[in-house]
Amino acid sequence: MAAEAYLQNDAVVTRHDQTFFGVRQKRDRMAQALPEWEDLREAASQIKKHTETHLADYLEKFEQNATKNGVHVHWANDAEEYNRIVFDILSSHQVKKVVKSKSMLTEECHLNTHLEAKGIEVVETDLGERILQMMKLAPSHIVMPALHVHREDIGDCFRKQISNFNEIAASYPTPHDDPNDPTFLTYVARMHLRQQFAEADAGMTGANFGIAETGDVVVCTNEGNADMSTSIPKLHIVSMGIEKLIPNYKAMGVFQRFVARSGTGQETTVYTSHFRGPRPGGEMHIVLVDNGRSEIIGNAEHWQTLKCMRCGACMNTCPVYRRSAGYSYTYFIPGPIGVNLGMLRDPHKYYDNVSGCSLCCSCDNVCPVKVDLSTQVYRWRQELDSLGHADPMKKMMSNGMSFLFNHPALYTSALRLSPMVNWVPSPLINLKLNPWAYGHEMMKFPKKSFHQLWKEKKL
Amino acid sequence: MSAKEEILKRLRQNTRETYDMPDLDSLKPITYVDPVAEFIQKTTTTAGAKLIEKKTDESLNDVVQTVAKGLPPSGKDGKCIIASNLSGIEAQLNPDTVSEARELMAADLGVIEGRIGVAENACIWIPQQMKEKSICFAAQQLVIVLRRDAIVNNMHEAYARIAASGDYFQQYKFGTFISGPSKTADIEGALVYGAQAARGVTVVLV
Repeated sequence: MAAEAYLQNDAVVTRHDQTFFGVRQKRDRMAQALPEWEDLREAASQIKKHTETHLADYLEKFEQNATKNGVHVHWANDAEEYNRIVFDILSSHQVKKVVKSKSMLTEECHLNTHLEAKGIEVVETDLGERILQMMKLAPSHIVMPALHVHREDIGDCFRKQISNFNEIAASYPTPHDDPNDPTFLTYVARMHLRQQFAEADAGMTGANFGIAETGDVVVCTNEGNADMSTSIPKLHIVSMGIEKLIPNYKAMGVFQRFVARSGTGQETTVYTSHFRGPRPGGEMHIVLVDNGRSEIIGNAEHWQTLKCMRCGACMNTCPVYRRSAGYSYTYFIPGPIGVNLGMLRDPHKYYDNVSGCSLCCSCDNVCPVKVDLSTQVYRWRQELDSLGHADPMKKMMSNGMSFLFNHPALYTSALRLSPMVNWVPSPLINLKLNPWAYGHEMMKFPKKSFHQLWKEKKL
Repeated sequence: MSAKEEILKRLRQNTRETYDMPDLDSLKPITYVDPVAEFIQKTTTTAGAKLIEKKTDESLNDVVQTVAKGLPPSGKDGKCIIASNLSGIEAQLNPDTVSEARELMAADLGVIEGRIGVAENACIWIPQQMKEKSICFAAQQLVIVLRRDAIVNNMHEAYARIAASGDYFQQYKFGTFISGPSKTADIEGALVYGAQAARGVTVVLV
């Protein structure tokens, strides 16, 4: 319903569309600036195919190296086990407040709700995530999660919820007319978050990559929040999906060059941090989470979704995502990759998302690891009927069309008669029985069909 | 069976066909006629940092103190609080000797050393060479000292150097690439420097 409200306003939708298409264009400029771009995509895809199909071996190697580096490695079959492990680590250190950098895995497992229910305060430190957390909203994008929220609402939220807002505002040195000026609001968030870093007892991060050969966890951010979260508190917990592994530094070179170029159209993220062990006097834990991934590898049609590195390029280019925004999808990851991951999570719960695709295939062409996103969406659609989720209306129409197209005489008469629809009064056509009329004006049928024009040699 | 055994067993059972690791040596990554010039250009434009080329007759400390004079001071004496463990740099805080990492949040200027510069994207490899790495992130402003002969073309070359060197991850098990000031565009897509970490970065090429 949040989606419906959002989409009521044309100007808002257009801005959303343009913002993300702008990111897509920046990505294109990055791609064009590197002559080796397509070779890199092919290399990245092959590295991922290799790693995912040798994952058990690489995970063992990764664990061995991380352990040797003094890191505690934990394994979690599912979300529940993962949440329990994290809580146990935190409670054994009497942690009251944890600062956390963005991690889609923790969203997937609903970690925050689990920890908060047990009395641990969780502070998201990515600015976008923090805004959403304070406003009690879900992310609308995996890399730029709060880009759909307007500055006025962010300003109101900060004024209400940041207890020392006035004090922070008074220390801002630059005069500004707009009370919701993004630079000013970012300053307020900076001061607020730095206080959180100083007070926290533990820091949590996700992992963009795990390097099997060395045991490194690599985290990429622009804000430096993952680094602030792990430089001040002494306890660091990494949450990592098992598919995030890559073999070695050579492979890392390929992926480092891709993350930001593909995702946000920058040459690099500001920080690319390699965590190889605990801080002096500190502790580092890595929780390796399966939560369905080891089943996906056995899915002949869909296993390549495991190659995804969550850069967000597929959603930025997707015309459906751009014009419908993240809340239109029922799975928490939107866009082409989210449609597919949702189906792998639970097809009976998330099957409605597969219709959110025009099969334009643009996502396939921007994906830096060559996940065949639209082909997979197409395959899911073919499977809908056997899953018992084919839309009865569409099924009836398909059967009807199939009958029509197989009977040329009937088709020709129907075509000849179709312009008659133009004389039917529009309220009758646009009534609720006609699903096309939701959000569409009924089209005008031309007087003569393409067939007729062709026969009369007018084409 | 432990979770680890269960996960590994499922992975081995479910994996169907396998694929070989590609030959990455055949990649022809971008190189530059003058990597130093490219690095300077990228640092001062897209990365949003400043860059000073130290003259041979200047001392590093002079350059650092000049940078500090241009910053809003927070010290009681009206001067900037500098944090560094580099020899020859006059500093009030030392990341090797502070008792808590959060003390370095008070630094107006952190002075640290980079080991590899990357021309394609302005990244600078900063291995942890101090007890508290918070200096690299928590200081309001950062000076990164980099030798101009340590600039490579691209990330492949940088990672090859790191992998081949025995210098890194020895005493402290952390290293980071930093390419400029902390930034965000999370509020309506407006680019703002100074998100949570350093607001400004000055690279000093020596």
